[in-house]
Amino acid sequence: MVITPVHYIVVPLLAAFAIPLLTKIYKDAARLIPGIVLFYNIIVSFNLLKYVNEHGIISETIAGWQAPWGINLVITPFTGFLASMVSVLGFIIWLYGYRFKRTLKGGLVKYYEILQMMMIAGSIGVIITGDLFNMFVFIEIVGISAYSLTAFYRGRDGAEASFKYLLIGSFASTFLLLGILIIYTQTGTLNMAQIAERMHEVPQHMKIIALIFFLISLGIEAEMFPLNGWAPDAYSQAPSPTSATFAAVVSIAGVYALIRVLFTLFDVPVNNYLMIMGFVTMLVAEIAAISQKDLKRMLAYSSIGQVGLVLIAFGIGSKLAVFGALFLMLNHAVIKSLLFMTGSYFIYNTDNKKLKSLNGIHKRLPLVSFFFSLGALAIVGFPPFAGFWSKFYILIAAGDARHVYLIVGVLGVTIIELTYYLRIVGRIYFAKEEEEPASHKPSINAIIAMSALALFILVIGVYPDLIMQPLNQAADALLNKTHYINQILSLN
Amino acid sequence: MIDFHTIFEQYKEIISIAVYGTAVFLIIIGLYAVLLKKHLVKIVIGLSIMDAGIHLLFVAVGYISGGTAPIFSPGNENAANTMVDPVPQALVLTAIVIGFAVTALALSLVIRLYKHHHTANIDQLKSLKW
Repeated sequence: MVITPVHYIVVPLLAAFAIPLLTKIYKDAARLIPGIVLFYNIIVSFNLLKYVNEHGIISETIAGWQAPWGINLVITPFTGFLASMVSVLGFIIWLYGYRFKRTLKGGLVKYYEILQMMMIAGSIGVIITGDLFNMFVFIEIVGISAYSLTAFYRGRDGAEASFKYLLIGSFASTFLLLGILIIYTQTGTLNMAQIAERMHEVPQHMKIIALIFFLISLGIEAEMFPLNGWAPDAYSQAPSPTSATFAAVVSIAGVYALIRVLFTLFDVPVNNYLMIMGFVTMLVAEIAAISQKDLKRMLAYSSIGQVGLVLIAFGIGSKLAVFGALFLMLNHAVIKSLLFMTGSYFIYNTDNKKLKSLNGIHKRLPLVSFFFSLGALAIVGFPPFAGFWSKFYILIAAGDARHVYLIVGVLGVTIIELTYYLRIVGRIYFAKEEEEPASHKPSINAIIAMSALALFILVIGVYPDLIMQPLNQAADALLNKTHYINQILSLN
Repeated sequence: MIDFHTIFEQYKEIISIAVYGTAVFLIIIGLYAVLLKKHLVKIVIGLSIMDAGIHLLFVAVGYISGGTAPIFSPGNENAANTMVDPVPQALVLTAIVIGFAVTALALSLVIRLYKHHHTANIDQLKSLKW
């Protein structure tokens, strides 16, 4: 069988809409099918990534219309890397949530799985599409499923968070459409490679206006300050596997969209803007995180902080910095999923989401506490873990580019980060315990999922060489714009 | 019998300005409603109006005055120069469907919020804050 990029999108969407039918035949189909489909996605992505790294860019035309006219799906080492990452994490999050969802009543599992699969398929679509309007459609698919998942639990807070998210998301889509409209009127095409080719003919003021629309709309998707008010509410109100998906999949797709538009489409230098906004995002998010009393909100703010650092690294813009940014995106996706997974077991075992109730919880949940501490140390960037390397490369790149104030700033913010993570680890291990037996031990599938992520953090921390090569090729593919344009426009 | 075509030719410029102006005006009305109205349903209506404005803008961009429908038919093979641009129309169709889905979801959320809070005033929803 020939594996092509379109499998990524078609198979999950087909399966998602077949779930209601198949549950009529077999009761557990709703829980099993996503696992099978996401595993298939992993196979597809590794095959494609291997092919791309050996033979160059794949561009698949959809419905027989050639590239500049029709929609094309593009796998470069960059998009292939991100898509593989999203697929693997989607599968691990499914594995984690397999038993968890048994607590949902009756038919609800079905809807949960449909929305979750739509969200992952949409994110992969954002990453691999080569058409600007198609990207908008996929962003909306991700958005609508994310709004619904945020309101999945029938409490009032879920609906409130979801409504906020929906309002901001609709703003984003409106501005994105306006940006696309301006680009279309100026270049007469929607194909990203062709837009990039014709961009230098566009008058400067039109370019700036379109750029502003894109920065606002995609800044909302990528959780850039000050457009990220939705994120903490959505992360904290959604079901736990969904919070992990927001951190590991949706935010990655958002950052990708922003970076693709800024790096490939526009030839306007936005490096300083990205660095400044990235730093402000990081600073504000980490300061907000330190004052949170709710574990999931704190993790959400920490996610925003990580995205800020990713933006800083992309802003520096050298090869090494982009390499570090991609490494950090990978680390963020893995470690933040681990933190949300373990964090939700803490919440599950205590009456509320408050940090206070974590006192001495390690006696009740030793394994989960261990994984959480591992993740906390890794995300701050302690040396033997994966998080160290990404921060290290970004700081080296900042030093190479003579941005000394950035090094100082990032290290300063890291101290804030360290403070609140160590505060929780301290609570878990050293605070006085309240007498209460653990009611919900982690299930075996959740332990496997969390161990896989923890193992990744340790192995990559000790042997970062293992993923150097794909990361390197991904960074090259992102920075080499002319190669991308030529390949897309000549392949078809 | 009024000859619409000549009237249209005479006021071509004014009409095109009017179409763009209406589109921008609708977007501004929508923005106003979303940002300043307190009632949840009014906010959702504002979103719809904003969407409508953008759709109109899209169609207006692809329009050629006196253009024909973008369909090649027998006896009409060389019509490419007089056709309106079909791409924005296709985009608008997609955008309308997406806008419809978002509006439906937003209204269902409004119903749920109303059930829990017994109010549709957005100022009174503040269980989630920084």
